[in-house]
Amino acid sequence: MTARTALLLLLLLFLATGCSSGEAEPPPGDPEKGREAIREYGCGSCHVIPGIPGADGQTGPSLERIAKRVYLAGVLPNTPDDMARWIREPEAVDPRTAMPNMGVSESDARDITAYLYTLK
Amino acid sequence: MNNQDRQDSVQKIRKRIEIHVGIAIAALVVAMGVGAAGFVYWGAYNVSALQQHTEPVFTILNLALDRSIRQRAEEIEPPSLTPDMAEQGRLIYQRKCVQCHGAPGVGRDDVGKGMTPVPPNLAHTAKTKDAAEIFWPIKHGIKMTGMPSWQFKFTDDQIWDIVAFITQMPEMSPADYRTMGGGEEREPTRDVTTASAPAPARAAAVPDPERGKLALYGYACIACHRIPGTVGPHADVGPPLEGIGGRRYIAGVLPNTFDNMVQWLRHPTEVDPLTAMPDLDVTQQDAMDMASYLETLE
Repeated sequence: MTARTALLLLLLLFLATGCSSGEAEPPPGDPEKGREAIREYGCGSCHVIPGIPGADGQTGPSLERIAKRVYLAGVLPNTPDDMARWIREPEAVDPRTAMPNMGVSESDARDITAYLYTLK
Repeated sequence: MNNQDRQDSVQKIRKRIEIHVGIAIAALVVAMGVGAAGFVYWGAYNVSALQQHTEPVFTILNLALDRSIRQRAEEIEPPSLTPDMAEQGRLIYQRKCVQCHGAPGVGRDDVGKGMTPVPPNLAHTAKTKDAAEIFWPIKHGIKMTGMPSWQFKFTDDQIWDIVAFITQMPEMSPADYRTMGGGEEREPTRDVTTASAPAPARAAAVPDPERGKLALYGYACIACHRIPGTVGPHADVGPPLEGIGGRRYIAGVLPNTFDNMVQWLRHPTEVDPLTAMPDLDVTQQDAMDMASYLETLE
């Protein structure tokens, strides 16, 4: 009986974990540096960002599971390149957006993207 | 009383207990059978498409669906999918699929809105499933979902063309899709400038959050957004709407007021021409009801 229960639990575990096909490669950039950069640029004053202390802003959308999101800002397909572009020049992507241009450097944008892509 | 007698009486009591337990189990099984039959016969189960499953039932059904498809898709060897195939697939997609599933920046027709389960947004599907897992349901259809089998309409090659297009969707902006020739003007299904078509008398009614919550199913909002209080695919196509009542901007472009939310829900592409959120022909009353529900999500 216990063997069967254990088997059933294993099966459930397999079912629960076996649901992540189509994993893309992680984007270039350093997620740890990205976490630092997110703090420095103060992204958390407008967005809820998991893993960033104090990031509980209610101005823009929550960035929970942002790696899984189909569209960025509702307009851009969510690819690492497009995310870095959006972070650097939001007004160039969507002139109507309330997201400000924070003067993010190319490499900081890569790192921030790498961190945001860990949010699944 | 000697030892033998004592053992006998213990044995007797044990036997009696076993008989009682047996009878109780049998009675329980019969009662459950009768209960289940009664549940079906007296129509206790509500089959309304707007009466969503409970979360556990939905989760189990969804898991069963995913597992069934994955199991069968494992035996399929996908060909390499080329841009030419995707272009052929787009032409079929626009004729046969967009009605229920929509496309980047293009809303589904009315037929794809009030369904349970809600036809998935396929850009989201393409992000989470492999090519064979997309091929199988197109070819074979899915019972009790409204998804037909297309194998008597399209050859396997044509179905792979459709798959090739769908796998491109996550990297396609609404503007990209329009450039390809998608999203040509479709007939508006009704005059959206007038009040709620089914119940025009309601035009001046007080916004009703409960009705608004139903409308979130009725307009298939749950196909793209996670919305607290609803059961659905929990898709992350657009942003999650948890806390939307306290958010300062709608869609990152409009200050979050009740009137702006109504405006956004009715005519998103007028508010932001680049948005992937499609115009869904939402009536004034329905938008007010939805906005009043969303307002409660602090």
